[in-house]
Amino acid sequence: MLSANEIRKVVQERNQHQKGTGKKVVDVREEMERLEAAGEIVIHRIRPENRPVEVSTLFGWKKRIPTDRLWHHKSCGQCGNIPGYPSSLLWLMNETGRTYLNEPHQTSCTAWNYHGTATSNPVALAAVAARNFHRAYETGHFPLIHCGTSYGDYKEMRKLLVENATVRAKVRDVLGKMGRELVLPEEIVHYSEWVHVMAPEILARQKHTVEGIVATVHEPCHYYKMVPEDAVYDEAIYAGQRPAVPSGILMALGAKVADYSTWYDCCGFGFRHILSEREFSRSFANLRKIRPMVEEAHADVAITSDTGCVTTLDKSQWIGKAHGLPYMLPVLSDVQFAALAMGAHPYKIAQVHWHAASAEALMTKMGIDWKAAKAEFREYLQALKNGQAPELLHPAHGEIETYFAINKGQVLPDEAPAAPAGAGGRSR
Amino acid sequence: MTIVAHLPQRALTLTEEESAAPPAMELTGRRRASPEERALSETIFREFHADPRYHEFVLGCLNCGECTTGCPAARFYDFSPREMLQIAETGDATTLWDALQEKIWACCQCYTCNMRCRFGNDIAGIISVMRELSVSHGVASTRKTLAPFGRSLTLLMTVGTQVSSDMIQPDFFRDWGPFATGSDRAWGVGADIMRRAIPSDVLQTTRSSWEVSVQTSLELFRIYEETGVLDMLRGLDPDLTEMLIDIIEERREEFEEARERFRTELEGMRGPVATFRG
Ligand code: SF4
Ligand code: SF4
Repeated sequence: MLSANEIRKVVQERNQHQKGTGKKVVDVREEMERLEAAGEIVIHRIRPENRPVEVSTLFGWKKRIPTDRLWHHKSCGQCGNIPGYPSSLLWLMNETGRTYLNEPHQTSCTAWNYHGTATSNPVALAAVAARNFHRAYETGHFPLIHCGTSYGDYKEMRKLLVENATVRAKVRDVLGKMGRELVLPEEIVHYSEWVHVMAPEILARQKHTVEGIVATVHEPCHYYKMVPEDAVYDEAIYAGQRPAVPSGILMALGAKVADYSTWYDCCGFGFRHILSEREFSRSFANLRKIRPMVEEAHADVAITSDTGCVTTLDKSQWIGKAHGLPYMLPVLSDVQFAALAMGAHPYKIAQVHWHAASAEALMTKMGIDWKAAKAEFREYLQALKNGQAPELLHPAHGEIETYFAINKGQVLPDEAPAAPAGAGGRSR
Repeated sequence: MTIVAHLPQRALTLTEEESAAPPAMELTGRRRASPEERALSETIFREFHADPRYHEFVLGCLNCGECTTGCPAARFYDFSPREMLQIAETGDATTLWDALQEKIWACCQCYTCNMRCRFGNDIAGIISVMRELSVSHGVASTRKTLAPFGRSLTLLMTVGTQVSSDMIQPDFFRDWGPFATGSDRAWGVGADIMRRAIPSDVLQTTRSSWEVSVQTSLELFRIYEETGVLDMLRGLDPDLTEMLIDIIEERREEFEEARERFRTELEGMRGPVATFRG
């Protein structure tokens, strides 16, 4: 079910039925070039200073993944209850010498709300996407999307803005009212794609072996079922029949990635359900995902790469005990797992204590002295309580940024020399 | 950031009659539509077929059932994407109206059906179109179904993030167990200290997913005003909408005051920061 071959067929057939012309699938990036030449949009291009690495997508098209000078597009669910997901990513960038901005000048994509309550519409979603795209552009940093749903939504919105002149005009008008213009990124890039291409640098810094670890992967639906053309595939991973991320990094680190029968199923998040009808979410997560992962694959850990998926698969398990499903399988994002393997502090950086299913047994298996780390973290919390300043991965923002969308050295890329002073480094 | 500090913790406002009614998931087929509802169903039906997305998303149906085979919602609800697509394709105002009462809200928006359908229908998308109409026309069962979303809609409309760590309270998330809120009880310090132990200043807030600057939140609200989202929300809950407008008005004043206060620092800045006026 849902192999790359099947998905390719669906995409091709949809195109034929929609256009009624038997036209082949069009690469949206070619249309973007045409629109830019006509003065309709600006393309936020990946530049040499973004140090891109090339990968392949569903139709074998090449996609360039920028690895440096990145603008973190955080996820609205991840930061509230699984903060180890973004903090592990920031830490990994520091360790590998990558520069980035992590700003308060970003909205979420608002697509959780749209898919949960429908109190929005495509023009609004496209305008929100374009607003964030322009904000990244004006800082000279390339957007890196943390969330599977934001990634899926932004792919949809980029396509909509390219294909629909009416929506494009409306969005351009709205952006104009806030002094922004219509900028579309050359690529929509998911953070797990960044982790994937950074594998050699991660491996070079690996401290803990994961060879005995059995991992089951949950592939986030919105990563590869929304605008599937942009998802990354690799012949060396599942013979190119399933997305290469996040499995690739686990294999590279030496974990055993085990298959299970319901790999293609969603996690049960449901957008609306996770907040107001969790009976569904937890039944689905436990019965259709966690149980097969444990009983079929004997997993030590479930790995995924989306906010909602980590939340649902992790938090739904506690109540499982009441239904005779006492699994408590640890659920981590790929970047938390990679950071742990690289020796990140399990509590200060990977923040595993926010997860409902304990990662302690997994860490023992990885050879991590989590007891010492836990004691140290306990002392750190007391020190914070006594007024010590927190340890930060990047400098704190000033008061002026409470109000205004600025950062030091802010500059539009097309007006800039290679690297604007003060905007790079672990600046924000 | 102060914007979310003063948000009232409230659900959507329901009329007495709506509060007394059973939730949407119990409604279907239990009673006849009133004349007003029949008129509304005709309006919605017309608007549904006039939506530009309709012909893009609804391409035909082989009745093969592939979509339903992979559908997570179909495993737990009286719901099937095949039925939804067929209602969209050949249903009348009454069948569409019936679907709006309950079924549209069963879908998880996972897009699995879309990837299984050899006709290339965008079933998840057409369900969203149905939902949008149901929201903007304030269909009673939809108001009831979305009643628990008052707090997250307030957060979303004013700062653009869906949840905050202070929303994940044991009272509402009892099923998540004792470790769902950063396990502060297990560590012997308060939630604020658990947040300060996250190594990024923008993530340390308890009142949003991350700190959001006032300019950013005002830009977002401008988008909502300009693209009809505020009008949709008015259909769902006029009181909530008015409250949001009041909050934003205050923020606009605060923003202009800050512009005065930081005049020297802002001198020479280009782009939206120099020109945006809330
Ligand atoms: S998008 Fe909705 S209808 Fe389609 S498979 Fe997922 S839950 Fe079912
Ligand atoms: S998969 Fe497509 S063609 Fe088959 S029943 Fe579903 S909507 Fe109809």
